[in-house]
Amino acid sequence: MFFAKKKLMVLALTALTGLSLLAAGCGSENTSSSSSSSSSSASNDIIQTIKDRGYLKVGCKVDVPLFGYKNPDTGELEGFEIDLSHAIAKKIFGDPSKVEFTPVVAKTRGPLLDSGELDTVIATYTINDERKKQYDFSTPYYTDPVGLLVKTADNINSLKDLSGKTIAVPQGATTRKAVEDAAKAAGIEVKFAEFPTYPECKAALMSGRAAAYAMDTSNLSGYVDSETKILPDKFAPQEYGAATKKGNDALAKLIEDTIQEMKDSGELDQLLTKWKLNK
Amino acid sequence: MGVNNPFALYKWQALFDARDIFIDGLTTTLEVAIGALILSVLLGIIFGIAGVFPNKFIRVLNRVYVEFFQNTPLVVQVVFIYNALPQIHIVMPVLLIGIIGVGLYTGAYMAEAVRGGILSVSKGQLEAAMSQGFNYWQAMWYIILPQAKRVMLPSMANQAINLVKNTSVLAMIAGGDLMYQADSWSGSNMYYGPAYLTAGVSYWIICFLLSKYINKLEKKAEV
Repeated sequence: MFFAKKKLMVLALTALTGLSLLAAGCGSENTSSSSSSSSSSASNDIIQTIKDRGYLKVGCKVDVPLFGYKNPDTGELEGFEIDLSHAIAKKIFGDPSKVEFTPVVAKTRGPLLDSGELDTVIATYTINDERKKQYDFSTPYYTDPVGLLVKTADNINSLKDLSGKTIAVPQGATTRKAVEDAAKAAGIEVKFAEFPTYPECKAALMSGRAAAYAMDTSNLSGYVDSETKILPDKFAPQEYGAATKKGNDALAKLIEDTIQEMKDSGELDQLLTKWKLNK
Repeated sequence: MGVNNPFALYKWQALFDARDIFIDGLTTTLEVAIGALILSVLLGIIFGIAGVFPNKFIRVLNRVYVEFFQNTPLVVQVVFIYNALPQIHIVMPVLLIGIIGVGLYTGAYMAEAVRGGILSVSKGQLEAAMSQGFNYWQAMWYIILPQAKRVMLPSMANQAINLVKNTSVLAMIAGGDLMYQADSWSGSNMYYGPAYLTAGVSYWIICFLLSKYINKLEKKAEV
């Protein structure tokens, strides 16, 4: 019995040591990289690294029509954010085609930036305080309010009708907080069910697991069909920005400058018009 | 530690402040695991015995159950119960889906373990018992199963541990379990380092304690 206990302790300690080593290992590696990249010379290096590599690595959406969408007919990526990424590549290389796109979903955006897998994420990334602590965001290039998709047959006509009901929201998005606040302001209580992807949210709505699917309106419009409608209630405008890893100041500035220049020259408005995103 | 570090101290602080969410998730995971474990052991014993039953029809039942649940992914089964069954007006709460889904799935593996255990006991044992006046069930209960236990337990233990880890499938259907809470919490603030490490360590502790407990049972069975 004593032997068994001792063996158990040894095993437990081994496992804990292993885990803490793992954590410490990841930790120290990241500390050194972040401390070196915070100096300004290293910060310029990021642009040099990108130039040496020959292309810009951008995280984009592939399932959000008008923003980042893989057209099933052509197999090509298209959308406002795709064009924006090309504009940034043009600024760096003088050639808009020098971009490598990687599809991201809400919860992979942060880790892919942290690991350096991506230079920037331009993927309907809402700017908020917690995220600003860890990433640099550009000036918002688009503002989108949260909307609610409901089944026409359910006879729900406003946020108030959702009192006590469950609302499907995507994981890793700011939507939940936005709806929570709006519900509080309206004096009602709602429950949430979070799903990893947008289609799963829609499926939960259609199966009756959720009474509504809440998401940024532009995003939601891709999911409207003959059985569903978007409620007129819209709230909490979400500001989309291009995100970069903290410490990559030069890249953040370059993207910021590009977007500002496009704003000033009217190019950004033209792009918005092209994708019918002008309000 | 820099702000970029996935394990930065302020992220651990945030996790500590949000501990209720994780305790909630852990509770749900334990509830589902215990419920599913009981269900799977019961199913395993019933269908395991069915697999060696003299009646052919009963043996076929065992094959249908085992082959169906072993050869379809758990995720598909659970998502099906969650999203498709409501279309025919069967709406189960997620906790129940977890217990039934994971329980049925693991039950198939348990049944194979039980069947294998029974088959490992030589046929003469049953014949000898019956010649001494035991009926089939008595022979099964008093003679065969106690001997089969030694062979069954190790593989049943593996399945029990897989079961605990498989409860994380609930994260796919907003099940409120540990994995879901870790996903949900870290998804909004991107403090994924502490979130997943904590979830991982929690699963490890549950599985480790469970395997130690089963080891003890095995020791007892050997005597």
